[in-house]
Amino acid sequence: MLESYFSYIIRQPVISAPVFLNLLPILLIWRKRAYNEKLLLILFVYLILKLCVDLVMFDLASHRQNNVIYYNVSIPVRYVLTSWMYYYEFDNKSHRRWLLFSWPLFVGFSMWDIIHTNSSIGDVHDQNVVLYSATIESLLMLFWIMLYFYDTIRALKIPNLLTYPFFWICSGLLLFYSSFLFIAPVMHYAARWDQWMDIGTLDYIPYVFESVSLILFSIGIAQYRDNSYAK
Amino acid sequence: MQNNDELKLALLIASLAMLMMAFFVIAFVMYYQKKRFEEEKRINDIEKNYNRLLLDTALNSEETERRRIAQDLHDDIGTMLSLTKLSLNQLSKLVANSGDEKEESIMKKSQSLVEETILHVRRITRDLVPTTLERFGLMEAIEEFIHKLEEDNNLVIAFQSNTEEFPRQGQKLELTLYRIMQELVNNAIKHASCTKIDIVLEIDEEMIGLRVTDNGVGFDPEKIKESNLAGLGLLGIESRLAIVNGTVQYEQPAKGGSSAIARIPVNPASGNKPEPLHPFRRERVNI
Ligand SMILES: Nc1ncnc2c1ncn2[C@@H]1O[C@H](COP(=O)(O)OP(=O)(O)O)[C@@H](O)[C@H]1O
Ligand SMILES: [Mg+2]
Repeated sequence: MLESYFSYIIRQPVISAPVFLNLLPILLIWRKRAYNEKLLLILFVYLILKLCVDLVMFDLASHRQNNVIYYNVSIPVRYVLTSWMYYYEFDNKSHRRWLLFSWPLFVGFSMWDIIHTNSSIGDVHDQNVVLYSATIESLLMLFWIMLYFYDTIRALKIPNLLTYPFFWICSGLLLFYSSFLFIAPVMHYAARWDQWMDIGTLDYIPYVFESVSLILFSIGIAQYRDNSYAK
Repeated sequence: MQNNDELKLALLIASLAMLMMAFFVIAFVMYYQKKRFEEEKRINDIEKNYNRLLLDTALNSEETERRRIAQDLHDDIGTMLSLTKLSLNQLSKLVANSGDEKEESIMKKSQSLVEETILHVRRITRDLVPTTLERFGLMEAIEEFIHKLEEDNNLVIAFQSNTEEFPRQGQKLELTLYRIMQELVNNAIKHASCTKIDIVLEIDEEMIGLRVTDNGVGFDPEKIKESNLAGLGLLGIESRLAIVNGTVQYEQPAKGGSSAIARIPVNPASGNKPEPLHPFRRERVNI
C-alpha cells in the first residue's frame, strides 16, 4: 500500500506536494493557538477538511480510482468556508449581506451542476468534473478578494499589511484563484476518466499555486500574535 | 490535434496573464497603502505645526495686548494721576490757608483716593506685564509673585530650586513657565482650599521641571477633562506647553492635595539682552 503511495508521489510530485503542504498552516495554527481567532478558526476547519479530501483523493488516485466525486463536492464547501473569512473582514454591512446571499445560490448551483454533468450519480467510476461551478467559484472569490483589497486601501485601518495575517491569506487565495480561473473550465474535459484530453503542463499550474497559496497562508499565520490581531 | 495545441497555448497565456495581474494587484495594494499612510502622516504633521503656529500667535498677541494696556495705563492714566496729585497738592495748600475744616477733610479724602488709585494702577500694570521676569529671570519673578500672595492671604508658599543661579532661558520659555506657575498657584488658592503650597523648580542639562504641590482637596484631572469642568486654566497650560514641546502631569499624592509637574526642554537665552515680545514675529514653518 505504501508502495503505491510512493510511486504516485514520484510519478506526480507536483500534485502530491499541496496535499502534504496542507499540514504546514494547520500545524502553525495549532501551535500558535491561532484558532482562538474566529477567522483563523474557519481557515483551520477549511484546511483540515481540505486535507481530508486531499488525502482521500490521493489515496484513490494512487490506486488509480476515480476520485472526482470528492472534488466536485468539495467545491461548494470550499467556497462557503473561504468566503466566510471575508464575512468577518468586511466592515460594510451590505457587502456581508451579499456574501451571505451568495452561499445558497452557489451551493444550489453547484448541486445542479454535479447532477447536470453526471447523468448517473451512482456511477462513481464514471464521474465527471463539474462544468461551471469551479469557474463561477473562482470568479466569485476573485470578486470578494478585490472588494476586500479595495476596502482596505480606502479605509486605511491596517498600519502594516505585511504583519497582518489576513493580507497574506488573501494574497494566497488571489494567486490560487487567478491561476485556476481559466484552467477550471477545461478540467471538465481534461479530467475525464476515459477519453480524457491531455492539457499537459497546464494541468499542473493550479497545483503549483495551491502550494504557493498554502505557503502564503503559513506566512500569514506566522504573523499572528495573540491579542494583537485586532480587527 | 493542432486545435488542441492552440487551445493549450491560449489557456497558458491567459493563466499567466491572470497570475501577473494577481501579483500586480498585491504589489499595488501594498504600495498604495504605504503611500497613503505616509501622506496621512505628513498631513497630520502639517496640521499640527499649523495649529501650533496659530496658538503661538494667539498667545503672543495676548501678551502684546497686555503690554499695550499696561503701557497705556502707565503712560496716560499714570501721568494724569500724577498731575492730578500735583494739582491737588497745590489746592490743598490753598484750602489749608482758608481754614475751613470741612473743605480740608474733603481735600484729604480726595488726596488719599488719588494716591490709592495710583497704587492700584501701578499694581495692575505690574500684574499685566511681569517686568521682574524679563529683567531678573524666573527665580526672582516667582519669589516676587509668592511674596505678594503671602501678604494678602494667610498661606505658606514655599519655593525651592536645585540651583542658586537659575540660568536665563529664552523669553518665551520663561514666560510660559511663569504663567503656568501663576495658574497652578491660583488654582490651588481658588479651588483647593489649602494652607500650604510648594513650588519646586528644577533644571538639568535637558529639562526644566516645575512642580506645584498643594495640600488641599485634590482633584482628578481625567474626570475634570471628561466632564467639561476644565476651565481655561488647565487647557491653557496644555496649549502653552504644546508650543514649547513641554508636557504636564497631574498627580494625587497619597497624603492628599494635588500636584502638577510641567516639564519643558531647556532652551537657553540666545543673547544677553532679552528679545522684545512681539506679536507677529515671523517664524518659518516647514510645510
Ligand atoms: N489645585 C487644585 N485643587 C483642587 N481642584 C482643582 C485644582 N486645580 C484645578 N482644580 C479643579 O479643576 C477645575 C479646572 O481648573 P481650571 O482649568 O484652572 O479652570 P478655572 O480655574 O477657571 O476653574 C477647577 O474648576 C477645579 O475644580
Ligand atoms: Mg484656573
